[in-house]
Order: sequence, then C-alpha cells, then structure tokens
Amino acid sequence: MSLEVAIEKRIPGFRLAVEFSADGAPLGLLGPSGSGKTMALRAIAGLETPDRGRIALNGRVLYDSVRRINVPARERRVGLLFQNYALFPHLTVAQNVSFGMSRSSPDEKQRRVAERLAAVHLEALAERYPATLSGGEQQRVALARALAIEPAALLLDEPFSALDTHLRGALERQLRETLESYGGSTVFVSHNLEEAYRVCEKLVVLSKGSVAAQGPKEEIFRHPPTLEVARVTGCKNFSAARRLTDGRVEALDWGCTLRVAQEFAQPPKHVAIRAHHVRIHPAVKRSPENCENIFPCWLAAMTETPFRVTLDLRIGAPPANSADFHLQAEIFKQEWESFRDLPQPWEVELTADRVFLLAD
Amino acid sequence: MLSLKLAISVAAILLAIGLPIAYWIAFSRWRWKFLVEAIVALPLVLPPTVLGYYLLVGLGPRHWAGQIWQAWFGHTLPFTFGGLLAGSVLYSLPFAVQPIAAGFDGVDRRLIEAAWTLGASRLATFLRVILPLSTAGAVTGLVLSFAHTIGEFGVVLMVGGNIPGVTRTVSIDIYDQVQSGNYDTANQTALVLLLFSFVVLAVVYGTNRRALAVWRRRE
Repeated sequence: MSLEVAIEKRIPGFRLAVEFSADGAPLGLLGPSGSGKTMALRAIAGLETPDRGRIALNGRVLYDSVRRINVPARERRVGLLFQNYALFPHLTVAQNVSFGMSRSSPDEKQRRVAERLAAVHLEALAERYPATLSGGEQQRVALARALAIEPAALLLDEPFSALDTHLRGALERQLRETLESYGGSTVFVSHNLEEAYRVCEKLVVLSKGSVAAQGPKEEIFRHPPTLEVARVTGCKNFSAARRLTDGRVEALDWGCTLRVAQEFAQPPKHVAIRAHHVRIHPAVKRSPENCENIFPCWLAAMTETPFRVTLDLRIGAPPANSADFHLQAEIFKQEWESFRDLPQPWEVELTADRVFLLAD
Repeated sequence: MLSLKLAISVAAILLAIGLPIAYWIAFSRWRWKFLVEAIVALPLVLPPTVLGYYLLVGLGPRHWAGQIWQAWFGHTLPFTFGGLLAGSVLYSLPFAVQPIAAGFDGVDRRLIEAAWTLGASRLATFLRVILPLSTAGAVTGLVLSFAHTIGEFGVVLMVGGNIPGVTRTVSIDIYDQVQSGNYDTANQTALVLLLFSFVVLAVVYGTNRRALAVWRRRE
C-alpha cells in the first residue's frame, strides 16, 4: 500500500508545492486554512490538475507531467469524503451507497449495500433521504459510499468540521475502527491537531503551500523543526533565544536563562514550551542550586473553560496591564484553586525536558 | 389546433437541442463563451420581424442555405409548417436554454465531483445527478418555450404568412378577425387562448413544486 505525491500547482496568489507519501497507516495533512491541504487532496482525487509532478498509487501512475499521464477522476478508484459529505439529495441512503458500485445483479447489489450500511450501523436508514439524516449519519453514509467503490486510497477532507462537538468523539472512534479494517492508504485532512493526532500515525504539516514538517506524529509534536510547525501543532509560548555554554540558552523575550535537555546541533533561534507543560507552584524558599528553570511570576490575565484555566504569566516583575505577559500556562481548575489565593509572585517551572529549541 | 401542434413540436425540439446547449453554457470554461450566450439571447431583444426577415431571406430560394434545403427536400421552408417550426424554435431558444442552464448552474459542483470520484462518466453524471437535480429548470424551460410559441405573432407572420390550416396560428387568426371587424369571434378566441395558457402554466408550476417536495421535505 503506498501513495506517492510530488506536485506543484500555481494559482493567482498561491503556489502549492508538496511532496509526501502515505503507506498503510493513516497520514494526516495538518495546516491552517489556506495552507493548501484541500488542494492537495483534490489533486490526488483527480479533481484538480497540477502544473507539474507525479502522483502514484500502489505503483500505478495517476498523474505524471513528464509522461503526460492524467488519469481522469472516474478511473482513479480514489474514495473522497467531502467536507460537507456531498450526498445526492434526490437519492436514498441505499441509492447513494450503491451509486459507484460496479455493475452486478440487483440481489448482489442489495446484499453489498446492506453490508456497507451495517459496517457503519445505518441499516435502518437505507430508504431515507439525506435531508432527513443528522450530520453524523450523513457523514457515515458518505463514508460507506466512498468505501463502496473499494478504493485503493481513501481521502478524508475535514470529516468532522461540519459536526457538533458532542458528536465528534463517538464518530471519531467509529472512523478509526473503519480505517483499521480498511486496507488502502488513507489521507486525513484537518486543521485540528488533536483530531489529526488521534486518527493518524504520520503527519505532514503544510504551511503556505509547502511541507513544513513530516514524520511520525510523536516526533513532530515533541520537536517541531520550525516556529511555524510549533504554532500549527498548538504551541503558544515562544521566545527568541541565544545559546550559552553547558546546555543552557538565554530566553531573550522572557528575560531568563534555561537549561535545555534537547541535543541541538544548529544555533537555536527560538526556545519554546507548550502551555500545558508549564507548571506553577506557590513560592517556597529554595537553595540556589535548586532554582534551575524556576522563576518568580505574576498573573496578568486568566481565561476559563469548564475544566481548565489558561493563565497569562509575566516572569521577573509584575505586569503593567493584562496584555503584558510572557507565557501562557494551561492547568486544571482543581490545581488553580489550590494556589489562586496565595500571594504573588508564584513560581513558574519550565522543565528542561519539556523546553525545546527551534532553528527557524 | 395548429397553434397547439406547433407549440408542442417547438417545446419538444427545444428540449432536445436546449439540453446540450444549456449544458455547454453552464459548464464550459471557454473564454469566449459569453459570445455564444449573447447569440442565444438575441431573440429576447431582437424585434420578431428582424428574425423573421432573416429567416425568410436566408431560407428563401435565392440564398445558398435555402437552395441547399430545396435541393434536399424539394421545396423551400418559408410559408410551410416546417418554416414556421424553424422560426419558432429559433425565436423561443433563449426561453428554453436560459432556465435550463440556470438549473444546471444551480447544481452543487461538489455533487458532480462526487459522482466523478465514484466512477461515473460525464454522461452518467448528467443523467443520474445533474438532470434530476435541475428538473425545475428543465420544466420551466419547456413551459416557457411552449407558452411563448402559442403567443408569438411577428415571426409567424413573416416566415409562415397566413395560410389557413398550414401556418395560420391562433394569434394570427385573432389579428385577422379584428382586421375584418369580427370582434365577437376575436373575443372568444382570445379568451380561450388566455384560459388555456393560464391552465397550462398553473398545472405545470403546481406539479413541479410537488415533484420537488418529494425529496426536500420528506418527514
């Protein structure tokens, strides 16, 4: 199972130039809107023609600008799940699912449709029209329809973006199950990093039309290569950095010196830490050798969600106003309540193995 | 009734040639497409006498087009039912093409693309997705060309003349009767035409709406 993509396409004001490959494990295409994710997906499906490059699926060339090959969408056997599902409104659920099935006897077709619908737990809705289904049901019908052509690759374009949040969890679990039993290559487009992380093994991060990072998801989250990728993967705290001796860097924007566990060959440009890795304690008396990566901090502002709070913190001195802060920390409410009434400054700890460096 | 026969024939022919023209107008990306659209829309603004004049001259025995026709069919088109049909089809072309093209245009592109990725050919996509989703446009085009043909006058008079049983349509007949002072007969014919047109339109629009409701508002 392999999908190889190396394409270039220019449209006014935008240039897409990407190269990536997917094998049996789901590949996530992650990036902000306008980064070219959907365009890349459409090129694989044959709905968009690149200017240059090559697309091959299991060794079969779908597009090759040099050899002038451009297999039309209908012959690519690539299943595409559209962002809004694109179900045919004038056909029933069963008719939608059987739309792309190869010619066979009515009995045979009916049996296969029933099988496909059973796989997504929608047997009972076979005769309904799409307009009468919920968003989650529509998504499952679209998935069953895309898989009914037994595609060599399955492309999912933001499959959860049109759904209410409370529906996503269950549907995502179901999608993961479906993908596990599906034999082909899967490409999953998303701007939601947590979703992409849960569904995919490998990630490709797109930024302004080109690949900013690709590799195993853990690797990309632990050590994003650039500031851009760190941002896309949800990192919120950055500071310009200068390397000192003995594994230390000076965080210029934060006005402090940090020990960093990460081995880093190039001179780092930035130092960063994720908001939920920032730890906060009430102040205690410490001996100087016990102060590593721990700094006095003041609260500039606070935002809450039902179970968590985000604290905007300033290191070294009290903030002048609520926008004057260095770091954001995300912690559970329970923890927040344990020190919220204690006198400031508190202590912020940027653990050495959580801090990472960025070359660009 | 000659008018009815003419209108039904025109609507049928326009459906047959209007669908491909409308499809091309709705989906072609040719940069000079607007020129074709302008030509199709010409009868909307052209006085019917101008169109009738060109048809009369062009299809007449002195013009090469008319000569070719004569060589093949043994007679010229003007002042026959065939000539009337040709003139009416051209004159009503925009009334059929524009609503059908608008209907095609209104079909969500993503549904068309979905059909392609599911392996459907262009023809299959047209028959199974585009056409069923634009029935309202097709029916409107059909009805408008039908109604427009029933009511036309200028082109008929120019191309068809006024031959009883061959080219004398209802609208010409009313004109004739008014000219000879038979206001009672003219009145009756006009009323019949009015009621007939209204009933046809009402029936078509009414059933059309119900047909669409089948999948849009079920349950």
